[in-house]
Amino acid sequence: MPTITIFKQDLEGLLATPGEPPQPITMEQLEDSLMLVKGELKGQNPDTGELRIELQDSNRPDLWCCEGIARQIRVKRLGVLPKYDFLTTKLKSPKQLHVAPGLENVRPYVAACTATGYLVTQEGLAQLIQTQEKLAEMFGRKRRTVSIGIYRLKAIKFPVTYDLVKPDEASFTPLGMDTVMTLGEMLLVHPKGLEFGGILAGHDHLPFLCDANRQALSFPPIINSREAGEIRVGDDALFVEVTGTDLSMVVLTLNIFSANLADRGAVIEPIEVRYPYKTALGLGVITPQDLDKSRKISIGTIEQALGQALGVHEVAKDLTAYGYEVTTKGKSVTVTLPFYRQDLMHAMDVVEDVAISRGYGDFLPVMPSQFTVGGLSRIEEVSDRMRALMVGLGFQEIISNILGSPQDLRDAMRLAGTEWGQLVEVDNVMSQNFSALRQWMLPSLLRVEAASNRAFYPHRIFEAGEVARRDPLQPLGSHTITVLGGMIAHADAHFSEAHSCLDTLFYYVNQAYSLEPIQHPSFLTGRVGGILSEGKQIGVIGELHPEVLERWQIGVPAVAFEINLSELAERS
Amino acid sequence: MDTSSLIDSLHPLEVKVLSAFGAKHSATLQTEQLLQSTKLEPSQLSMAVEWLLAKSLLDVDTETVTPIVSLTKIGELYFEKYSPIERVLSAARDAAKTGKRLTIQDIQVREGLEPADVSGAIGRLKKEGALLIIQGGCIESTGRASQTAEAMRGLLQQLHGAPRELRAFSETHRQVIHDHAVKRGNAREPFRIDDRVARALKLSPSGIEAAQQLSRQGTAEEVSQLTPELLKDGSWRTKRFRKYTISLRAPRIAPGKRHPYREFLDGVKTQLVSMGFQEMRGQLVETEFWNMDALFMPQFHPARDIHDVYFVKEPIHASSIEEPFLSHVAQAHRNGGETGSTGWNYPFDAERARRLVLRSQGTAVSAHTLASQPAVPGKYFSIARCFRYDQVDATHATDFFQVEGIVLGTDINFRTLLGLLNLFAREVAQAKEVKFLPAYFPFTEPSVELHVRHPKLGWMELGGAGLFRPEVTLPLGVTVPVIAWGLGLDRMAMVALGIHDIRELFTDNLDLIRSTKGSF
Repeated sequence: MPTITIFKQDLEGLLATPGEPPQPITMEQLEDSLMLVKGELKGQNPDTGELRIELQDSNRPDLWCCEGIARQIRVKRLGVLPKYDFLTTKLKSPKQLHVAPGLENVRPYVAACTATGYLVTQEGLAQLIQTQEKLAEMFGRKRRTVSIGIYRLKAIKFPVTYDLVKPDEASFTPLGMDTVMTLGEMLLVHPKGLEFGGILAGHDHLPFLCDANRQALSFPPIINSREAGEIRVGDDALFVEVTGTDLSMVVLTLNIFSANLADRGAVIEPIEVRYPYKTALGLGVITPQDLDKSRKISIGTIEQALGQALGVHEVAKDLTAYGYEVTTKGKSVTVTLPFYRQDLMHAMDVVEDVAISRGYGDFLPVMPSQFTVGGLSRIEEVSDRMRALMVGLGFQEIISNILGSPQDLRDAMRLAGTEWGQLVEVDNVMSQNFSALRQWMLPSLLRVEAASNRAFYPHRIFEAGEVARRDPLQPLGSHTITVLGGMIAHADAHFSEAHSCLDTLFYYVNQAYSLEPIQHPSFLTGRVGGILSEGKQIGVIGELHPEVLERWQIGVPAVAFEINLSELAERS
Repeated sequence: MDTSSLIDSLHPLEVKVLSAFGAKHSATLQTEQLLQSTKLEPSQLSMAVEWLLAKSLLDVDTETVTPIVSLTKIGELYFEKYSPIERVLSAARDAAKTGKRLTIQDIQVREGLEPADVSGAIGRLKKEGALLIIQGGCIESTGRASQTAEAMRGLLQQLHGAPRELRAFSETHRQVIHDHAVKRGNAREPFRIDDRVARALKLSPSGIEAAQQLSRQGTAEEVSQLTPELLKDGSWRTKRFRKYTISLRAPRIAPGKRHPYREFLDGVKTQLVSMGFQEMRGQLVETEFWNMDALFMPQFHPARDIHDVYFVKEPIHASSIEEPFLSHVAQAHRNGGETGSTGWNYPFDAERARRLVLRSQGTAVSAHTLASQPAVPGKYFSIARCFRYDQVDATHATDFFQVEGIVLGTDINFRTLLGLLNLFAREVAQAKEVKFLPAYFPFTEPSVELHVRHPKLGWMELGGAGLFRPEVTLPLGVTVPVIAWGLGLDRMAMVALGIHDIRELFTDNLDLIRSTKGSF
């Protein structure tokens, strides 16, 4: 989840009581406060006051900025969320943003407001840009569902139009360039066009934001105009818009920005968006807007989940001090999230907020008291018994990656094109070395053997572990089984040496077996056997084919066996 | 020390010397005689004699010191290139023949000699009247011979490669040798006089005793190995067994043993079983449904894209997903279904749910257990191999173990969750101090991070846990509260194994695997 950079003095400023000088915050206080926001301090620079904080909660985008962190801490200190007037004041004739028909099929929703009276500082600007980037990247799914534009208000004449135009119909100088280009050209040459153009793929008309004079503001969600869309330190009037594909996410994002700017002292003026098509909020939508519905929760649900009797009033106090609006009636609380949050899905979300607001340290741990019997799975028991026997036979256990390469697992084993060579392969390969699940154990053993010609001989190694076998009859197209593989390598390694070990294993697990000659490309012909038990082939034993040893660059003979332990585990 | 243990401690060289006195325990033997009878090198003999003297097994009867003259390295050089005195004299004679003036400087330059050697030679030649120093610092041959130069030439020839006793030389030559012998403060001389010490040695009373015992022992045959034959016929009684030097390093063997990481995991497994947990197993290949959907991770969740999870190439989809789980989970995602949740409000894609992936989290195993009518109360764990789309480096593996599990029960709540974590802290990390921090996992609410003070590592994150969201448990048919927990043990394992790179947990280096001790 996002890691953001904030500055200690900026945080202190935002935490200050209006009209009073900021109080310095100690590192200890900071770490305590970060529990309120599920934040973890990842790094800091005491000289510059820079703090790097990771925010864990992917459903709380309001916390991914200095303002949001400060707000959550301040609410806790005050015991209640201060009022944000712009949510309730009714404007007689709000500024308007007109949406063009056809956008419902491209990028349907937009929300916007103005913010005046806040003089943009260096730190404020850095936070504004960081918030814009983090929200669009992680909450807006790389701008696909939400993207944000911020502009200098003074250059804009209302009403603003969210238009739909042909790629060559509109042009402006985008940020980061110094020539005028059409929207189509931006998709082809501008770095942001190349990065995010895919969002608009397949559309012959593109979103375009302009003011009443047809002056370009931006090409959402790609890039802003350099003219109107480059905020500088010292600006004191801003226009903020959010476009996207999900109306509630678009409105929430604007709500977060308006709260952030208001917290910095800006006066927020809502804007009315006029749609030519139906939306869940109607044809005219004033933004920012408090969307959250209230929810009634019985106190019993909360107390039972927490394991602690708290009472309605205590819970109401805790939630109010976490930003909720709460009313109580009898044995239940009715709660509403603050307007910058939309993450209440289940009563359990409220339960956690009660716990966080009180502090996890407030809850006395209690041991679960109900009795249960512990135990291992049957396959683990069989595997452990086999491992103990292998250790007694003088084998060193190894442990390997299950992901390997088809070259090692199949080709170097001379299994290409055979049924033994069928693999579960990875589609989105990052490295060939880790692109297929092992289908048997011998390549894992050979990997160690190949790397260990300096280790003194004899080598006796084994591994018991999982492999994946292709099987079209299985719902998953494959199944996972546990196998035991053993290998002996030294100058005089011989079939009978491995056979003796195999014989011992079967004796001590009380299973009958026999060997029958088979053809297996990984082994020398005539020196390989299938291990038959209860009429089923449950393994293989043989002297490894010299070509296999050559492919692995192994300079001594090797004999090996593999047994399907899952098969044995199903018996008795 | 009594005689027999004294004898046991004797070095073979000492034994040889003692034995050389043979039956004549009272004999006095010269060093030369000992050399002949023991057939030792002079250095070996003198070493053994010194040890025996120190142990008071030998006494010195008489001692004669003979001075021996030999050439030093400088001497051998003079033998090859003539001594400075000769070279100065012949240079002066050459100059006299040609009538050239010769300065001291000229000689130094022409002959490449050290100034000290030149001035020393000139001094001696002048004293002997073979040279004159004339006006302007020039030297001139008088034509007279130099006794020293002649003597020097003769001595160099006689001593070249063959040291001789000093007394073999005439009085004059002995003087020359003394004048030109290496002394303290003057190492640049051609001769060296060393004292050769010849001793007449005899056995001390305890030496006689030791020698007697040795000669008695000599009659018993020494064998290196006790054999079945020796035991059978009882002849071991007349044998002497060669003594071993038991302080030597033991030859190395490679035992059969468990892998140290597996041994660590076996320990964890045992602890969990002892706490009442039942083991669960799963499949390496999973559907997105069980790996994520069932855990209420929305299909648009960032951790579900191709940069986080490995997708299976073929087949792409599972043939089906078990009902009623598919419908119930789909409903929970869309609008919460019967779970009391609002859901994620998006069109759940059942096709996507069947997409095959490599299991990316052990919680997938827990999800299967929830859907298989688990015991209530019940405790379950798995040590499951999981796969992440990660660049492999010292701290990231693409293929790793996750230790995870669940606890079901009517008494499960936030406080019993903390109680369980306390138990883990104590049993698994031997930690007495713990901290519980609010955390976020898509499938739990409330969620906790467990930090403990490990006795060796200090404060560390030991694991994460929480109560499964009702959106997870109810669609899978579980109506009691469920704790989901996971432990991050790799750091503890790495400390136990003494490694710093996570890749070494799965190393292919047999030497390293054989030599790693593991925790004890």
